[in-house]
Amino acid sequence: MSETRAYVIGRPDVPRWVERILERGQVIAPKAAWGSDVIYDVVQSPAEVAWDYSTTFSPLKRFLFPQTDTLLQWERQGGSGLQVSPTYDETERVFLAVRPCDVSGVLYLDRALGGDRPDIYYLKRRARSTLVALACTEPGDHCFCVCAHSGPFLESGYDLQLTPLPGRYLAEVGTAKGAALVEAAAELFSPAPEQAVEARRDLAREAEARFGDERAYFAAALRKLTFDRVPDDLWDEMADRCLSCGGCTFVCPTCSCFSTADAEEQCSEASQTGSRASGCRQRIWDSCSFEAYSLEASGHNPRAARKHRLKARFFHKLSHQFVRRWETHGCVGCGRCVTVCMGGDDMPAVTAKIRRGKEQCSKL
Amino acid sequence: MENIYLPDLAKIVTIRDETADTKTFELRFLDAERWGAFQHRPGQFVEVSVFGVGEAPFCLASRREGAETVEITVRRTGSVTDALHELSAGDQVGLRGPLGNGFSWEQARGRDVLFVGGGIGLPPLRPLIYEVLAHKDEFRRITVLYGARTPSDLVYQEELAGWQGRDDITCLLTVDAPDEQWRGNVGVVGTLFAKTEIVPEATIAFVCGPPVMIRFVTRDLLELGLAEDAIITTLERHMRCGVGKCNHCLIGDKYVCTDGPVFTYRQMKTMLEPG
Repeated sequence: MSETRAYVIGRPDVPRWVERILERGQVIAPKAAWGSDVIYDVVQSPAEVAWDYSTTFSPLKRFLFPQTDTLLQWERQGGSGLQVSPTYDETERVFLAVRPCDVSGVLYLDRALGGDRPDIYYLKRRARSTLVALACTEPGDHCFCVCAHSGPFLESGYDLQLTPLPGRYLAEVGTAKGAALVEAAAELFSPAPEQAVEARRDLAREAEARFGDERAYFAAALRKLTFDRVPDDLWDEMADRCLSCGGCTFVCPTCSCFSTADAEEQCSEASQTGSRASGCRQRIWDSCSFEAYSLEASGHNPRAARKHRLKARFFHKLSHQFVRRWETHGCVGCGRCVTVCMGGDDMPAVTAKIRRGKEQCSKL
Repeated sequence: MENIYLPDLAKIVTIRDETADTKTFELRFLDAERWGAFQHRPGQFVEVSVFGVGEAPFCLASRREGAETVEITVRRTGSVTDALHELSAGDQVGLRGPLGNGFSWEQARGRDVLFVGGGIGLPPLRPLIYEVLAHKDEFRRITVLYGARTPSDLVYQEELAGWQGRDDITCLLTVDAPDEQWRGNVGVVGTLFAKTEIVPEATIAFVCGPPVMIRFVTRDLLELGLAEDAIITTLERHMRCGVGKCNHCLIGDKYVCTDGPVFTYRQMKTMLEPG
């Protein structure tokens, strides 16, 4: 089995496969939420998994890099003594039916939070995670992954990638972790016939074509941001539309700015272990659009003006300097910023404005 | 895998009042062996935790190596510094570091060394001043120019008096607002340039102070004819994690915490600061 890279599983067999995966640990999958929203959430049964969805409201980063995460806790001992210990999440997780853009978002976080000085909290969760991608055959209303080279099908980066075919799914194995999920229910899978692999190729081509000309062209924006050639009045104009709400950063799969805060009370992790901690240090998502983001204790704020914060955000996402540092740009084309931004300062709109004029993204 | 956010415990050994709002804390790791791994150099910084309040970055201000302690000089300005000021000798804090690049002072060998400090900007220069004094034969003239808002805002007053009494170091002081006892120079620190002999092509300047002071001192030094890479400064930013992860201290694509905090003017010039 290990020599084969692609399998098929009949649609009626999928619930049994999911049952098998549920036995292995926590399963996070798209799930119907409020109204027409679909979110990535913990599922308890195969029936909860929403296989037919476009994009979830928020990415899956909160499971690997939680919005509030306890880094360490301390216990006061007699006198001025302290005992400080880190708290780690070692839950085994399978992320099921994740969109390719979101897998790409995780790959970006791997670089931002890995590297020479790895973030152990992220990497421990990541090492215990299996990513099962669900290729996209139909772009959503705000999708532009084709421009970000992060979809609609993945060529690598997944542990397992599923493609919906008539009556069955094609399952491409990317890693040993992905192979293990197939092996967990080996009797439900059979090696993919050549026509299934061909069908996948056709679907990928057709899916890309469905994006039509509706694209965000990064190249020119990237060049202008890199060399600081975006006119100042354009930043003013875009800043006038920004509410500094931080929404774009919170729904962005690649944003990972954080702050920390100490709490002098019992933390949830502490109560789980039964220890009587005196307090804990938590990591909290922060946003570069917030005014206090770069505020110093002295009162000096190098990015007091909204346009400077906006500029820093897009520089971080798209400049050559950061593309070099992370070996990729900081956008996966999921379109969530298009959904949340009330001022229209989303990624496709900003890149189009920076490019100004011709070949504008027709979705604007 | 190392936990880059996990502080070591340290005990406050001594606390010295510098000014009405500034104290110097001497810290020693509880685990004596931790000191062995604390390979640090002037210009680097540490993140200090007051558990229950938070963590903040402070430049190493240690007077000399070999003492097996770390010194930080802290002005009371925010929640963590407030809490630090309330602590006593014997209390425990968290210590993470050394962090950042530090001064590459070896390039100053054989040259005139000019230190320019403003207010709470002298502490980051202090370890370097002692390092240079300890190897004074390897340098030409050593000059310290230091300014503060008022005479009572000058830190390390005993040491300043000591330097002023030595003939192997020139130490000139200035204040913006003198009191009745002040007999020294009045004006910003740049006004001291005219009172000392600066040989531009032989001088390397280490500058630290508030942003506005760095801007004007750099301009003055360039006008005097110092080369762009002979002006070296240490920048302060909101450095939350200190290890290049939280992104708060980014200037363009440079992390002040890991690419700096020490930068030459030549580097600073190319750092794309928005606006």
